Amino acid sequence: MSRSCRKVAVARPISCLNRGKNMSNNRWKFGIATALALLPASMAAAQEAAGPDPLGALCVGGQSNASICLSATLPTTPSQTVQSWMSPDVGAAWRAGYRGKGVTITIVDDFSSTSRFNGNFGIGVQNQRHGEWTREEASMIATLATIRSKDFSTSSSVTLAPGLNVLNLSYGMYAKAGYSSNQIGWSAEEASIISYATKGTAVVSKAAGNDSVAVGGITGGQQDYLDLALIGKTSAIFVGALNGNGTTSNPTGMAWYSNTAGSNPLVQSHFLVVGVAGDKTGLYGTSFAAPIISGYAAIVGSKFTKATPTQVTNQLLNTARTDTLIGYSPSVYGKGEASLSRALAPVSIK
Amino acid sequence: MREKSGNRVSFRTTALLLCALLGVSPAIAQEMTTSLVDIHQGSPLSDRARGLGDGGYELQNGNRLSFNQWYRASWVDMHVDLLTQITEDTGILWGFGTGEEGEKYRIEPSLKFGFLTQMHPSANSTLSLSLTTTIGGNLTEKSCQADYGDLGTYSVNCRLAAGEMAPEETLKYLVNAKPERQHLWLNYRVTF
Repeated sequence: MSRSCRKVAVARPISCLNRGKNMSNNRWKFGIATALALLPASMAAAQEAAGPDPLGALCVGGQSNASICLSATLPTTPSQTVQSWMSPDVGAAWRAGYRGKGVTITIVDDFSSTSRFNGNFGIGVQNQRHGEWTREEASMIATLATIRSKDFSTSSSVTLAPGLNVLNLSYGMYAKAGYSSNQIGWSAEEASIISYATKGTAVVSKAAGNDSVAVGGITGGQQDYLDLALIGKTSAIFVGALNGNGTTSNPTGMAWYSNTAGSNPLVQSHFLVVGVAGDKTGLYGTSFAAPIISGYAAIVGSKFTKATPTQVTNQLLNTARTDTLIGYSPSVYGKGEASLSRALAPVSIK
Repeated sequence: MREKSGNRVSFRTTALLLCALLGVSPAIAQEMTTSLVDIHQGSPLSDRARGLGDGGYELQNGNRLSFNQWYRASWVDMHVDLLTQITEDTGILWGFGTGEEGEKYRIEPSLKFGFLTQMHPSANSTLSLSLTTTIGGNLTEKSCQADYGDLGTYSVNCRLAAGEMAPEETLKYLVNAKPERQHLWLNYRVTF
Protein backbone atom coordinates (compact mmCIF):
# COMPACT_ATOMS: atom_id res chain seq x y z
CA MET A 1 0.00 0.00 0.00
CA SER A 2 1.56 3.23 -1.06
CA ARG A 3 0.98 6.53 0.58
CA SER A 4 1.71 9.72 -1.23
CA CYS A 5 0.60 13.27 -1.35
CA ARG A 6 0.45 14.90 -4.73
CA LYS A 7 -0.76 18.02 -6.43
CA VAL A 8 -3.15 17.78 -9.32
CA ALA A 9 -3.08 20.88 -11.41
CA VAL A 10 -6.48 21.11 -13.04
CA ALA A 11 -9.16 18.62 -12.19
CA ARG A 12 -8.38 18.72 -8.51
CA PRO A 13 -6.36 21.87 -8.04
CA ILE A 14 -4.67 20.49 -5.03
CA SER A 15 -5.49 17.52 -3.02
CA CYS A 16 -3.85 15.21 -0.66
CA LEU A 17 -4.79 12.19 -2.69
CA ASN A 18 -3.34 9.48 -0.57
CA ARG A 19 -4.75 6.36 -2.03
CA GLY A 20 -3.58 2.85 -1.58
CA LYS A 21 -5.15 -0.12 -3.27
CA ASN A 22 -5.02 -3.78 -2.45
CA MET A 23 -7.09 -6.30 -4.30
CA SER A 24 -8.32 -8.84 -1.84
CA ASN A 25 -11.27 -11.16 -2.38
CA ASN A 26 -12.39 -8.98 -5.21
CA ARG A 27 -12.61 -5.97 -2.85
CA TRP A 28 -10.69 -2.75 -2.97
CA LYS A 29 -8.93 -1.77 0.19
CA PHE A 30 -8.55 1.88 0.95
CA GLY A 31 -5.65 2.64 3.14
CA ILE A 32 -5.59 6.36 3.61
CA ALA A 33 -8.29 8.93 3.22
CA THR A 34 -8.25 11.54 0.52
CA ALA A 35 -8.53 15.19 1.40
CA LEU A 36 -10.95 17.17 -0.65
CA ALA A 37 -9.60 19.74 -3.02
CA LEU A 38 -9.17 23.38 -2.21
CA LEU A 39 -8.89 26.09 -4.78
CA PRO A 40 -5.39 26.77 -6.06
CA ALA A 41 -5.31 30.40 -5.04
CA SER A 42 -5.34 29.52 -1.39
CA MET A 43 -3.06 26.58 -1.68
CA ALA A 44 -0.39 26.92 -4.30
CA ALA A 45 1.58 29.60 -2.60
CA ALA A 46 1.10 28.28 0.84
CA GLN A 47 2.08 24.67 0.67
CA GLU A 48 5.33 24.03 2.33
CA ALA A 49 7.09 21.41 4.30
CA ALA A 50 6.51 21.61 7.98
CA GLY A 51 6.68 19.49 11.05
CA PRO A 52 3.66 17.54 12.17
CA ASP A 53 0.92 19.19 14.18
CA PRO A 54 2.17 18.81 17.76
CA LEU A 55 -1.32 17.85 18.80
CA GLY A 56 -2.41 15.86 15.79
CA ALA A 57 0.84 13.95 15.93
CA LEU A 58 -0.28 12.29 19.12
CA CYS A 59 -2.17 9.72 17.12
CA VAL A 60 0.39 8.74 14.52
CA GLY A 61 3.50 6.59 14.57
CA GLY A 62 3.86 4.70 17.81
CA GLN A 63 0.34 5.52 18.79
CA SER A 64 -1.26 4.50 15.56
CA ASN A 65 -3.84 2.42 17.39
CA ALA A 66 -5.19 5.45 19.14
CA SER A 67 -8.45 6.37 17.53
CA ILE A 68 -8.55 9.90 18.84
CA CYS A 69 -5.55 12.08 18.44
CA LEU A 70 -6.59 15.00 20.50
CA SER A 71 -9.28 15.77 22.94
CA ALA A 72 -10.48 19.19 23.92
CA THR A 73 -7.52 21.57 23.92
CA LEU A 74 -7.09 23.51 20.75
CA PRO A 75 -3.85 25.05 19.56
CA THR A 76 -5.49 28.42 19.13
CA THR A 77 -8.05 30.15 21.26
CA PRO A 78 -11.44 29.95 19.54
CA SER A 79 -12.76 33.32 18.56
CA GLN A 80 -15.85 34.50 20.39
CA THR A 81 -16.65 37.03 17.69
CA VAL A 82 -19.16 36.65 14.90
CA GLN A 83 -16.97 36.80 11.81
CA SER A 84 -18.00 38.22 8.47
CA TRP A 85 -17.88 34.78 6.88
CA MET A 86 -20.43 33.42 9.32
CA SER A 87 -24.17 33.52 8.84
CA PRO A 88 -25.88 36.22 10.94
CA ASP A 89 -27.80 33.29 12.41
CA VAL A 90 -24.72 32.33 14.36
CA GLY A 91 -24.59 35.63 16.22
CA ALA A 92 -28.29 35.44 16.98
CA ALA A 93 -27.78 31.94 18.23
CA TRP A 94 -24.92 32.88 20.51
CA ARG A 95 -26.75 35.73 22.20
CA ALA A 96 -28.76 33.30 24.28
CA GLY A 97 -25.57 31.75 25.54
CA TYR A 98 -25.61 28.18 24.29
CA ARG A 99 -22.78 27.38 21.89
CA GLY A 100 -22.59 23.65 21.53
CA LYS A 101 -21.90 22.80 25.14
CA GLY A 102 -22.13 19.10 25.92
CA VAL A 103 -21.63 18.05 22.31
CA THR A 104 -18.48 16.48 20.88
CA ILE A 105 -17.33 17.23 17.35
CA THR A 106 -14.72 14.85 16.03
CA ILE A 107 -12.78 16.17 13.07
CA VAL A 108 -11.50 13.29 10.94
CA ASP A 109 -8.88 14.93 8.77
CA ASP A 110 -5.22 15.53 8.09
CA PHE A 111 -3.32 16.53 11.20
CA SER A 112 0.08 15.11 10.40
CA SER A 113 1.09 15.74 6.80
CA THR A 114 3.55 18.36 5.67
CA SER A 115 0.92 20.13 3.59
CA ARG A 116 -0.06 23.51 4.96
CA PHE A 117 -1.72 26.50 3.44
CA ASN A 118 -2.67 30.05 4.34
CA GLY A 119 -6.05 31.35 5.29
CA ASN A 120 -7.72 33.78 7.63
CA PHE A 121 -10.90 33.11 9.58
CA GLY A 122 -10.87 36.68 10.81
CA ILE A 123 -8.32 36.15 13.54
CA GLY A 124 -5.23 36.76 11.43
CA VAL A 125 -3.46 34.92 8.64
CA GLN A 126 -2.42 31.43 9.65
CA ASN A 127 -0.56 28.64 7.90
CA GLN A 128 -2.11 25.35 8.88
CA ARG A 129 -2.88 21.82 7.80
CA HIS A 130 -6.24 20.96 6.29
CA GLY A 131 -7.48 19.38 9.50
CA GLU A 132 -6.30 22.27 11.60
CA TRP A 133 -8.36 24.61 9.43
CA THR A 134 -11.55 22.55 9.57
CA ARG A 135 -11.09 22.04 13.30
CA GLU A 136 -10.68 25.75 13.85
CA GLU A 137 -13.73 26.56 11.77
CA ALA A 138 -16.01 24.16 13.65
CA SER A 139 -14.71 25.46 16.98
CA MET A 140 -15.46 29.02 15.94
CA ILE A 141 -19.10 28.14 15.22
CA ALA A 142 -19.74 25.93 18.24
CA THR A 143 -17.42 27.61 20.67
CA LEU A 144 -18.36 25.50 23.66
CA ALA A 145 -18.38 22.13 21.95
CA THR A 146 -15.65 19.67 22.74
CA ILE A 147 -13.51 19.35 19.62
CA ARG A 148 -11.54 16.17 19.01
CA SER A 149 -9.11 15.52 16.20
CA LYS A 150 -8.71 12.19 14.46
CA ASP A 151 -5.88 11.95 11.99
CA PHE A 152 -7.25 10.04 9.03
CA SER A 153 -3.93 8.45 8.24
CA THR A 154 -4.25 6.20 11.27
CA SER A 155 -7.20 4.31 9.76
CA SER A 156 -8.24 3.13 13.21
CA SER A 157 -11.90 3.24 14.11
CA VAL A 158 -13.44 6.45 15.34
CA THR A 159 -14.76 6.21 18.86
CA LEU A 160 -17.69 8.18 20.19
CA ALA A 161 -17.74 10.32 23.31
CA PRO A 162 -20.57 10.39 25.84
CA GLY A 163 -23.45 12.62 24.73
CA LEU A 164 -24.21 13.80 21.23
CA ASN A 165 -21.48 13.17 18.67
CA VAL A 166 -20.87 14.97 15.40
CA LEU A 167 -18.30 13.67 12.93
CA ASN A 168 -16.85 16.09 10.41
CA LEU A 169 -15.58 14.56 7.19
CA SER A 170 -13.97 17.18 4.98
CA TYR A 171 -12.38 14.55 2.76
CA GLY A 172 -13.35 11.91 0.25
CA MET A 173 -12.13 8.47 -0.72
CA TYR A 174 -11.60 8.36 -4.44
CA ALA A 175 -10.93 5.38 -6.64
CA LYS A 176 -11.63 4.19 -10.14
CA ALA A 177 -15.33 4.43 -10.89
CA GLY A 178 -17.56 1.45 -11.38
CA TYR A 179 -17.67 -0.37 -8.08
CA SER A 180 -20.50 -0.35 -5.62
CA SER A 181 -19.77 0.82 -2.12
CA ASN A 182 -20.40 -2.64 -0.67
CA GLN A 183 -17.52 -3.95 -2.77
CA ILE A 184 -15.16 -1.77 -0.83
CA GLY A 185 -13.17 -3.27 2.00
CA TRP A 186 -13.28 -0.31 4.27
CA SER A 187 -10.66 0.41 6.87
CA ALA A 188 -11.80 0.37 10.48
CA GLU A 189 -11.95 4.15 10.36
CA GLU A 190 -14.43 4.54 7.53
CA ALA A 191 -16.29 1.36 8.52
CA SER A 192 -16.96 2.88 11.94
CA ILE A 193 -18.10 6.17 10.43
CA ILE A 194 -20.44 4.45 7.97
CA SER A 195 -21.80 2.33 10.80
CA TYR A 196 -22.54 5.39 12.93
CA ALA A 197 -24.34 7.06 10.04
CA THR A 198 -26.31 3.89 9.35
CA LYS A 199 -27.36 3.36 12.96
CA GLY A 200 -27.88 7.06 13.62
CA THR A 201 -25.45 7.16 16.51
CA ALA A 202 -23.58 10.25 15.31
CA VAL A 203 -24.35 13.15 13.03
CA VAL A 204 -22.01 12.72 10.06
CA SER A 205 -21.32 15.95 8.19
CA LYS A 206 -19.70 15.06 4.88
CA ALA A 207 -18.25 17.60 2.46
CA ALA A 208 -20.02 17.05 -0.84
CA GLY A 209 -16.91 17.38 -2.99
CA ASN A 210 -15.40 19.93 -5.32
CA ASP A 211 -15.82 18.40 -8.76
CA SER A 212 -18.98 20.20 -9.87
CA VAL A 213 -20.80 16.90 -10.25
CA ALA A 214 -23.63 15.29 -8.36
CA VAL A 215 -22.73 13.56 -5.09
CA GLY A 216 -21.33 10.14 -5.99
CA GLY A 217 -20.80 11.24 -9.57
CA ILE A 218 -17.83 10.31 -11.71
CA THR A 219 -15.10 12.80 -12.43
CA GLY A 220 -11.91 12.00 -14.22
CA GLY A 221 -12.91 8.35 -14.14
CA GLN A 222 -13.07 8.35 -10.35
CA GLN A 223 -15.75 8.39 -7.70
CA ASP A 224 -15.84 9.33 -4.05
CA TYR A 225 -16.80 6.01 -2.48
CA LEU A 226 -17.27 7.53 0.94
CA ASP A 227 -20.04 9.65 -0.57
CA LEU A 228 -21.56 6.55 -2.12
CA ALA A 229 -21.37 4.63 1.15
CA LEU A 230 -23.17 7.39 3.04
CA ILE A 231 -26.08 7.78 0.63
CA GLY A 232 -29.34 6.85 2.30
CA LYS A 233 -27.78 6.67 5.75
CA THR A 234 -29.94 7.93 8.58
CA SER A 235 -27.74 10.59 10.12
CA ALA A 236 -25.51 11.58 7.22
CA ILE A 237 -25.60 15.07 5.74
CA PHE A 238 -23.83 16.00 2.51
CA VAL A 239 -22.78 19.63 2.56
CA GLY A 240 -22.33 21.73 -0.55
CA ALA A 241 -20.88 25.21 -0.78
CA LEU A 242 -22.60 28.46 -1.69
CA ASN A 243 -20.84 31.60 -2.80
CA GLY A 244 -21.90 33.28 0.41
CA ASN A 245 -24.65 33.40 2.99
CA GLY A 246 -27.96 33.97 1.24
CA THR A 247 -30.76 36.25 2.29
CA THR A 248 -34.17 36.80 0.77
CA SER A 249 -33.11 40.23 -0.42
CA ASN A 250 -29.75 39.02 -1.67
CA PRO A 251 -30.03 35.35 -2.61
CA THR A 252 -26.91 33.44 -3.43
CA GLY A 253 -25.94 30.57 -5.70
CA MET A 254 -23.89 27.43 -5.69
CA ALA A 255 -20.13 27.84 -5.70
CA TRP A 256 -18.83 26.83 -9.10
CA TYR A 257 -16.73 23.99 -7.73
CA SER A 258 -19.29 22.48 -5.37
CA ASN A 259 -20.83 19.12 -6.01
CA THR A 260 -24.61 19.19 -6.19
CA ALA A 261 -27.35 16.95 -4.86
CA GLY A 262 -28.14 15.42 -8.24
CA SER A 263 -31.21 13.44 -9.16
CA ASN A 264 -31.07 10.78 -6.44
CA PRO A 265 -33.86 11.52 -3.93
CA LEU A 266 -31.84 9.83 -1.20
CA VAL A 267 -29.09 12.41 -1.69
CA GLN A 268 -31.47 15.33 -2.16
CA SER A 269 -33.15 14.61 1.17
CA HIS A 270 -29.79 14.64 2.99
CA PHE A 271 -28.08 17.49 1.21
CA LEU A 272 -27.59 20.98 2.66
CA VAL A 273 -25.73 24.02 1.43
CA VAL A 274 -24.00 26.77 3.41
CA GLY A 275 -22.06 29.87 2.52
CA VAL A 276 -18.30 29.46 2.10
CA ALA A 277 -17.02 32.99 1.92
CA GLY A 278 -13.65 32.25 0.38
CA ASP A 279 -13.32 35.85 -0.67
CA LYS A 280 -13.09 36.72 3.01
CA THR A 281 -11.10 33.79 4.33
CA GLY A 282 -9.02 32.70 1.38
CA LEU A 283 -10.38 29.22 1.99
CA TYR A 284 -12.56 27.64 -0.67
CA GLY A 285 -14.10 24.23 -0.98
CA THR A 286 -16.80 22.10 0.52
CA SER A 287 -14.16 21.15 3.09
CA PHE A 288 -15.12 24.43 4.73
CA ALA A 289 -18.84 23.90 4.33
CA ALA A 290 -19.01 20.69 6.35
CA PRO A 291 -17.57 22.20 9.58
CA ILE A 292 -20.29 24.84 9.53
CA ILE A 293 -22.95 22.12 9.58
CA SER A 294 -20.98 20.30 12.25
CA GLY A 295 -21.08 23.46 14.34
CA TYR A 296 -24.79 23.94 13.71
CA ALA A 297 -25.48 20.34 14.71
CA ALA A 298 -23.58 20.92 17.95
CA ILE A 299 -25.57 24.06 18.72
CA VAL A 300 -28.88 22.33 18.01
CA GLY A 301 -27.70 19.44 20.16
CA SER A 302 -26.83 21.79 23.00
CA LYS A 303 -30.38 23.11 22.99
CA PHE A 304 -32.14 19.78 22.62
CA THR A 305 -30.04 17.86 25.06
CA LYS A 306 -32.05 14.66 24.73
CA ALA A 307 -32.17 14.68 20.95
CA THR A 308 -30.71 11.75 19.06
CA PRO A 309 -28.22 12.31 16.22
CA THR A 310 -30.95 11.36 13.76
CA GLN A 311 -33.31 13.94 15.24
CA VAL A 312 -30.65 16.64 15.05
CA THR A 313 -29.91 15.63 11.45
CA ASN A 314 -33.55 15.80 10.48
CA GLN A 315 -34.02 19.10 12.24
CA LEU A 316 -31.24 20.68 10.18
CA LEU A 317 -32.53 19.12 6.98
CA ASN A 318 -36.18 19.99 7.54
CA THR A 319 -35.56 23.61 8.42
CA ALA A 320 -33.33 24.51 5.48
CA ARG A 321 -34.37 27.58 3.48
CA THR A 322 -34.98 27.70 -0.23
CA ASP A 323 -35.92 31.38 -0.48
CA THR A 324 -32.33 32.55 -0.03
CA LEU A 325 -31.08 30.69 -3.09
CA ILE A 326 -30.99 31.67 -6.74
CA GLY A 327 -33.15 29.32 -8.79
CA TYR A 328 -33.73 26.75 -6.10
CA SER A 329 -33.88 23.20 -7.34
CA PRO A 330 -33.59 20.04 -5.23
CA SER A 331 -31.20 18.56 -7.77
CA VAL A 332 -28.78 21.41 -7.14
CA TYR A 333 -29.32 22.50 -3.55
CA GLY A 334 -30.95 19.43 -2.01
CA LYS A 335 -32.99 20.59 0.98
CA GLY A 336 -31.59 24.13 0.73
CA GLU A 337 -29.49 26.51 2.79
CA ALA A 338 -29.11 25.47 6.39
CA SER A 339 -30.78 27.89 8.79
CA LEU A 340 -29.62 27.69 12.36
CA SER A 341 -32.29 30.09 13.60
CA ARG A 342 -35.05 28.00 12.08
CA ALA A 343 -33.55 24.78 13.35
CA LEU A 344 -33.86 26.21 16.84
CA ALA A 345 -37.37 27.56 16.38
CA PRO A 346 -40.58 25.64 16.92
CA VAL A 347 -42.82 24.49 14.08
CA SER A 348 -45.72 25.86 16.03
CA ILE A 349 -46.39 27.14 19.49
CA LYS A 350 -49.54 27.68 21.48
CA MET B 1 -58.23 63.94 55.78
CA ARG B 2 -56.92 63.51 52.28
CA GLU B 3 -59.76 63.09 49.89
CA LYS B 4 -59.35 62.96 46.17
CA SER B 5 -62.97 62.50 45.37
CA GLY B 6 -66.10 63.89 46.86
CA ASN B 7 -68.02 60.73 46.21
CA ARG B 8 -69.16 59.25 49.40
CA VAL B 9 -70.14 55.67 49.79
CA SER B 10 -71.64 54.19 52.83
CA PHE B 11 -70.18 50.86 53.80
CA ARG B 12 -71.72 50.72 57.20
CA THR B 13 -71.35 47.02 57.75
CA THR B 14 -67.72 46.99 56.75
CA ALA B 15 -67.00 49.99 58.89
CA LEU B 16 -68.60 48.39 61.87
CA LEU B 17 -66.42 45.36 61.46
CA LEU B 18 -63.33 47.51 61.14
CA CYS B 19 -64.34 49.44 64.22
CA ALA B 20 -64.68 46.23 66.12
CA LEU B 21 -61.19 45.28 65.07
CA LEU B 22 -59.76 48.63 66.01
CA GLY B 23 -61.69 48.99 69.24
CA VAL B 24 -63.63 52.00 68.16
CA SER B 25 -67.01 52.39 69.70
CA PRO B 26 -70.02 51.54 67.55
CA ALA B 27 -71.44 54.92 68.31
CA ILE B 28 -68.59 56.54 66.48
CA ALA B 29 -68.82 53.98 63.74
CA GLN B 30 -72.37 54.92 63.11
CA GLU B 31 -71.06 58.30 62.04
CA MET B 32 -68.28 56.90 59.89
CA THR B 33 -68.14 57.72 56.26
CA THR B 34 -66.26 56.06 53.49
CA SER B 35 -64.74 58.04 50.69
CA LEU B 36 -63.33 57.02 47.37
CA VAL B 37 -59.67 57.99 47.49
CA ASP B 38 -58.40 56.78 44.18
CA ILE B 39 -59.48 54.78 41.17
CA HIS B 40 -57.16 53.95 38.34
CA GLN B 41 -56.36 51.29 35.78
CA GLY B 42 -52.92 49.81 35.33
CA SER B 43 -50.04 49.12 37.65
CA PRO B 44 -46.33 48.40 37.46
CA LEU B 45 -47.19 44.74 36.98
CA SER B 46 -49.61 45.60 34.18
CA ASP B 47 -46.83 47.56 32.52
CA ARG B 48 -44.44 44.67 32.99
CA ALA B 49 -46.89 42.23 31.43
CA ARG B 50 -47.34 44.57 28.52
CA GLY B 51 -43.55 44.75 28.15
CA LEU B 52 -43.39 40.99 27.74
CA GLY B 53 -45.28 41.49 24.51
CA ASP B 54 -42.38 43.29 22.89
CA GLY B 55 -40.54 41.20 20.34
CA GLY B 56 -41.10 37.96 18.54
CA TYR B 57 -39.37 35.43 16.35
CA GLU B 58 -39.76 33.37 13.22
CA LEU B 59 -41.21 29.91 13.28
CA GLN B 60 -39.63 27.14 11.23
CA ASN B 61 -41.74 28.00 8.22
CA GLY B 62 -40.57 31.60 8.37
CA ASN B 63 -43.84 33.05 9.63
CA ARG B 64 -43.24 35.88 12.03
CA LEU B 65 -44.72 35.38 15.47
CA SER B 66 -45.31 38.43 17.65
CA PHE B 67 -45.49 38.15 21.42
CA ASN B 68 -48.00 40.94 21.53
CA GLN B 69 -50.93 38.62 20.94
CA TRP B 70 -50.10 36.75 24.14
CA TYR B 71 -49.55 39.68 26.47
CA ARG B 72 -52.52 41.94 25.89
CA ALA B 73 -55.68 42.00 27.93
CA SER B 74 -59.17 43.17 27.13
CA TRP B 75 -59.47 44.53 30.66
CA VAL B 76 -56.65 46.31 32.44
CA ASP B 77 -56.24 45.78 36.17
CA MET B 78 -58.37 48.41 37.96
CA HIS B 79 -57.54 49.56 41.48
CA VAL B 80 -60.08 51.19 43.76
CA ASP B 81 -58.83 52.74 47.02
CA LEU B 82 -61.24 53.77 49.74
CA LEU B 83 -60.89 55.46 53.08
CA THR B 84 -63.23 54.86 55.98
CA GLN B 85 -62.87 57.57 58.55
CA ILE B 86 -62.96 56.31 62.11
CA THR B 87 -61.98 59.36 64.11
CA GLU B 88 -61.20 62.87 63.11
CA ASP B 89 -57.56 61.97 62.54
CA THR B 90 -57.69 58.26 61.82
CA GLY B 91 -59.05 56.20 59.02
CA ILE B 92 -58.94 52.78 57.50
CA LEU B 93 -57.54 52.53 54.00
CA TRP B 94 -58.81 49.66 52.01
CA GLY B 95 -59.42 48.73 48.42
CA PHE B 96 -59.16 46.14 45.78
CA GLY B 97 -57.73 45.41 42.34
CA THR B 98 -59.68 43.54 39.71
CA GLY B 99 -56.69 41.80 38.20
CA GLU B 100 -56.31 41.13 34.49
CA GLU B 101 -55.62 38.22 32.22
CA GLY B 102 -54.04 37.73 28.84
CA GLU B 103 -53.50 34.55 26.89
CA LYS B 104 -50.13 33.88 28.51
CA TYR B 105 -50.28 35.71 31.83
CA ARG B 106 -52.56 36.52 34.70
CA ILE B 107 -52.57 39.19 37.36
CA GLU B 108 -54.76 37.88 40.15
CA PRO B 109 -57.25 40.13 41.97
CA SER B 110 -55.90 41.90 45.03
CA LEU B 111 -57.09 43.37 48.31
CA LYS B 112 -55.53 46.29 50.10
CA PHE B 113 -55.77 47.10 53.82
CA GLY B 114 -54.13 49.73 55.94
CA PHE B 115 -54.62 52.81 58.03
CA LEU B 116 -54.08 56.51 57.82
CA THR B 117 -53.49 58.75 60.77
CA GLN B 118 -52.54 62.36 61.16
CA MET B 119 -51.47 64.78 63.82
CA HIS B 120 -51.00 68.53 63.95
CA PRO B 121 -47.62 69.58 65.32
CA SER B 122 -48.75 73.16 64.99
CA ALA B 123 -51.87 75.01 64.02
CA ASN B 124 -50.88 75.25 60.39
CA SER B 125 -49.08 71.97 59.91
CA THR B 126 -50.15 68.37 59.48
CA LEU B 127 -48.10 65.22 59.74
CA SER B 128 -49.71 62.19 58.06
CA LEU B 129 -48.73 58.57 58.14
CA SER B 130 -50.25 55.68 56.30
CA LEU B 131 -49.34 52.04 55.99
CA THR B 132 -51.05 49.65 53.61
CA THR B 133 -50.64 45.97 52.82
CA THR B 134 -51.66 44.28 49.60
CA ILE B 135 -52.78 40.69 49.42
CA GLY B 136 -52.81 38.88 46.10
CA GLY B 137 -52.24 40.64 42.80
CA ASN B 138 -49.38 38.37 41.69
CA LEU B 139 -48.33 38.34 38.06
CA THR B 140 -47.94 34.81 36.72
CA GLU B 141 -46.67 34.05 33.22
CA LYS B 142 -48.03 30.91 31.61
CA SER B 143 -46.00 28.44 29.57
CA CYS B 144 -46.54 27.39 25.96
CA GLN B 145 -46.48 24.04 24.20
CA ALA B 146 -43.87 24.20 21.45
CA ASP B 147 -43.76 21.64 18.68
CA TYR B 148 -40.19 21.21 17.41
CA GLY B 149 -41.07 18.63 14.80
CA ASP B 150 -38.75 15.64 14.96
CA LEU B 151 -37.37 16.87 18.26
CA GLY B 152 -40.70 16.60 20.02
CA THR B 153 -43.11 18.83 21.89
CA TYR B 154 -41.99 20.68 24.97
CA SER B 155 -43.48 22.91 27.59
CA VAL B 156 -41.53 26.15 27.19
CA ASN B 157 -41.34 29.79 28.03
CA CYS B 158 -43.24 31.22 25.05
CA ARG B 159 -40.77 34.06 24.60
CA LEU B 160 -37.63 31.93 24.67
CA ALA B 161 -38.81 29.00 22.57
CA ALA B 162 -36.71 29.95 19.56
CA GLY B 163 -33.49 30.70 21.44
CA GLU B 164 -30.50 28.52 22.18
CA MET B 165 -31.68 27.58 25.59
CA ALA B 166 -32.84 24.03 26.16
CA PRO B 167 -36.66 24.02 26.17
CA GLU B 168 -36.90 22.82 29.74
CA GLU B 169 -34.43 25.50 30.83
CA THR B 170 -36.62 28.28 29.49
CA LEU B 171 -39.26 27.55 32.11
CA LYS B 172 -36.91 28.96 34.75
CA TYR B 173 -37.39 32.36 33.17
CA LEU B 174 -41.18 32.53 33.37
CA VAL B 175 -42.11 35.74 35.12
CA ASN B 176 -43.57 35.36 38.60
CA ALA B 177 -43.77 38.78 40.18
CA LYS B 178 -45.46 40.16 43.25
CA PRO B 179 -46.86 43.65 43.62
CA GLU B 180 -45.54 46.04 46.22
CA ARG B 181 -46.66 44.27 49.36
CA GLN B 182 -46.38 47.09 51.88
CA HIS B 183 -46.44 50.78 51.35
CA LEU B 184 -45.47 53.33 53.98
CA TRP B 185 -46.38 56.93 53.33
CA LEU B 186 -45.29 59.86 55.44
CA ASN B 187 -46.30 63.39 54.65
CA TYR B 188 -45.71 66.71 56.41
CA ARG B 189 -47.69 69.65 55.21
CA VAL B 190 -47.37 73.26 56.23
CA THR B 191 -49.98 75.80 55.23
CA PHE B 192 -48.95 79.45 55.08
